[in-house]
Amino acid sequence: MVLAIDIKQITKIFDNKVKALDGVELEVNAADVFALLGPNGSGKTTLMRILTTQFRPTSGNAYNFGIDLIRNDAEVRKMIGYVPQETSVWADITGFENLLIYSKIYGVPSGSRKKIISDALQSMGLEEPANDLVRKYSGGMVRRLEIACALMVKPKILFLDEPTLGLDPSARKAVWENLTIFKKEYGTTIFFNTHYMDEADHYSDKIAIIMKGKIVKCGTANDLKQSLRSEALQFGLNCNALDKTALTKIRALDFVRDVLFHDSELMVVIENERADTALPKVMEVLMMRGIQIERIAMARPTLDDVFLKYAGPITKIPECCHQIRGCGRQIRMCGHNDVKKN
Amino acid sequence: MTLNNSLREMSAMIELETRRLRHDRTEIYTRAVQPVMWLAVYGTVMSHVRDIPTNGIPYIDYITPGVLLQSTIFVSVFYGLTIVWERDTGILKRLLVAPASRYATLIGRAVASGVRGVVQALIIFPVAILLGVKFIPNPLYTIAAFLMLFMVAGGFAALSMFVASFMKTRERFMGIVQAMIMPLFFASNALYPINIMPPFLQSIAFINPLTYAVDAMRSLMISGNVASIPADFVAIFIFDILIFTLASISFRKIIE
Ligand SMILES: Nc1ncnc2c1ncn2[C@@H]1O[C@H](COP(=O)(O)OP(=O)(O)OP(=O)(O)O)[C@@H](O)[C@H]1O
Ligand SMILES: [Mg+2]
Repeated sequence: MVLAIDIKQITKIFDNKVKALDGVELEVNAADVFALLGPNGSGKTTLMRILTTQFRPTSGNAYNFGIDLIRNDAEVRKMIGYVPQETSVWADITGFENLLIYSKIYGVPSGSRKKIISDALQSMGLEEPANDLVRKYSGGMVRRLEIACALMVKPKILFLDEPTLGLDPSARKAVWENLTIFKKEYGTTIFFNTHYMDEADHYSDKIAIIMKGKIVKCGTANDLKQSLRSEALQFGLNCNALDKTALTKIRALDFVRDVLFHDSELMVVIENERADTALPKVMEVLMMRGIQIERIAMARPTLDDVFLKYAGPITKIPECCHQIRGCGRQIRMCGHNDVKKN
Repeated sequence: MTLNNSLREMSAMIELETRRLRHDRTEIYTRAVQPVMWLAVYGTVMSHVRDIPTNGIPYIDYITPGVLLQSTIFVSVFYGLTIVWERDTGILKRLLVAPASRYATLIGRAVASGVRGVVQALIIFPVAILLGVKFIPNPLYTIAAFLMLFMVAGGFAALSMFVASFMKTRERFMGIVQAMIMPLFFASNALYPINIMPPFLQSIAFINPLTYAVDAMRSLMISGNVASIPADFVAIFIFDILIFTLASISFRKIIE
C-alpha cells in the first residue's frame, strides 16, 4: 500500500546556520491520524511547512501518496489541506465570506458551494456567527473557522499545526470529534503537531517525537509507553521514616529498578509487566518490619512520561517518579491483613 | 496550472477585496478627503499665481488628473502592507498552499487594488466637477482615462508587493515606501510641466510611470490633445508587464 507521507532524510538549514531538521525519516500510512510531538523549536512547524510545499528542504525529499514534493509541488497542493500555527483567516470579512473565498480558490463548483459551506460551518458549530465579522470572533471560534476552511475542500491529507491551540477543553473535544467523523467519512489522512499529550494519546494512531530536528521515537501510544519499560508502585505507609536497610532490601529485589521514599510515601519503580511479581515481595519486606500499608497505587507510564523521557530537559529525572502523579490505575487495599489472605 | 484556474483565483482575490471594501466603506471616504483638499485648497490658491505654464488650462483643471492618480496610487503603494500583515499571520502561508499559481494570486490582488483605485477615483470625480473642473464630455475618453488609472494602480500595487517581499517588517516597508512617494509625485508632470523642472528631476520624471499616466489622463479628460496617448498606454503596459513579472517571481519568497 502506498504511504500517505513518506519522508526521506529531510534536513533543513536556515540561513546557513540554524539546523531546524536533521535527517528526518518518517512514514505515515494512508487514513491514519499521525501526531508529531516535540518541545518548542524542535522543528515541527518547519517539517510541516516543507510537507505543504512552502519551501524546499536543504536536502532529502518527501512523497505524498507517491508524489514527489519537490518536483511536483503543484500536484501535491491539490490534495492537501492545511491550517497553519498562526491565524489564517481574514478578520475584516465574515466567517461565511472566508469560506466562500476559499471555496472559490479551490474551485468548488458554484452549484454545491452553498451546501458545502453550510455543512462546514455546521460541523464546526459556527452557523450562528457565520455572518459576523471574524474580527469579533473569539480565539476558539477563529480556530474552528480555520479548520472548517480546511475540511470544506475534502483534502486527501490534512496538515494541522497545533489545531487546538487556545481552545477550551470542551471545544477541543468537539473539534476532535468532528475531525474523527470527517476522517471516517472521507478516509482522510491527518498529520498534526501538538503540545497536548492527551490529544495525541486519544486521537492518533501513531505518534512521533521530534527533538532538535531529529525523530527520537515513533510508534503507537502503547508502543511508546511500553518502551519506557517500567511501571511504578506507590505505597502509603503509616510511618514517616524508613530505615536504610529496608530500602536497600527492596532495591535488591528482582525486577525493581529504583526506590524512593518521601513523606510516608514509598515509590518502587519496576520493570514493565513485572509489578504482579514484585508486589508481594515488596510487601513482604515491609511487613517483616511491621510497617502498615495504608494504600497501594499502581501507575503505568503516561505519554507525558514518554515525552519527558525522550524530549525532556537534559538533567535526568529519576525515571518514573513523576508517573505517580499521572492518572494511573488505583488499587485500593485496606491494610496488609487483607492482602495476607490472598 | 490552467488558464481557467488562474482566472478563478484572480476573481476570488478581486471578490475578497470588494467584500472588504463593502465592510469598511468609511475608509474610502476618509481617503478622499486629502485629494479633495489638494484640489480645493492648493489648486485654488495656485491658480491665482498664474506662473505655471499650463497652456491656458485653469490650474485646478490642470492638476485634477494628477490628483486623481495620486489618490489611487497612494492606496496601491501601501497595498504591500496588507501582504506584510498577511505574512505575519498565517494567511499567506495558507494561500500559497492552495492549488493556485502564485502569478494568479499576485495578479489577482494587484487587479483588485486597481479596482479599489477606480472606486476611489469615482468618489473624487464628482467633487472635482462641483469645484468647477471642466472635463471633456466624451464618455469614451472618460472610460479610457479610468482604464489608464486602473492599469497604473494595479502596477503600483504589484510594485508594492514586490517591495514587501524584500522588506519583511512593517517598519522597513513603510520607510522605503514613504521614501518612494515624494519623488514619485513631485518628479512627475502631476503638478507642473516637466520642462520647468531642473534636469535631474526631468530625468526622474522621464522614467516615472506616473508621468505617462498623468499625460494620458490629462489629454483624455482635460486638454483633448490625444497625440501622445498610444505612447503613454504602451509605456504603462510595459511597466505593468515588467513589474507583474518581477513581483510574481519574488512572491513565493515572501513566506520563507
Ligand atoms: N523562517 C525561518 N528562518 C530562520 N529560522 C527559522 C525559521 N523558521 C524556523 N526557524 C528555526 O528553526 C527551528 C525550528 O522551528 P520550528 O518553528 O519548526 O519549531 P516548532 O517545533 O514548530 O516549535 P513550536 O512548538 O514553538 O511551534 C527554530 O530554532 C527556529 O528558530
Ligand atoms: Mg510550531
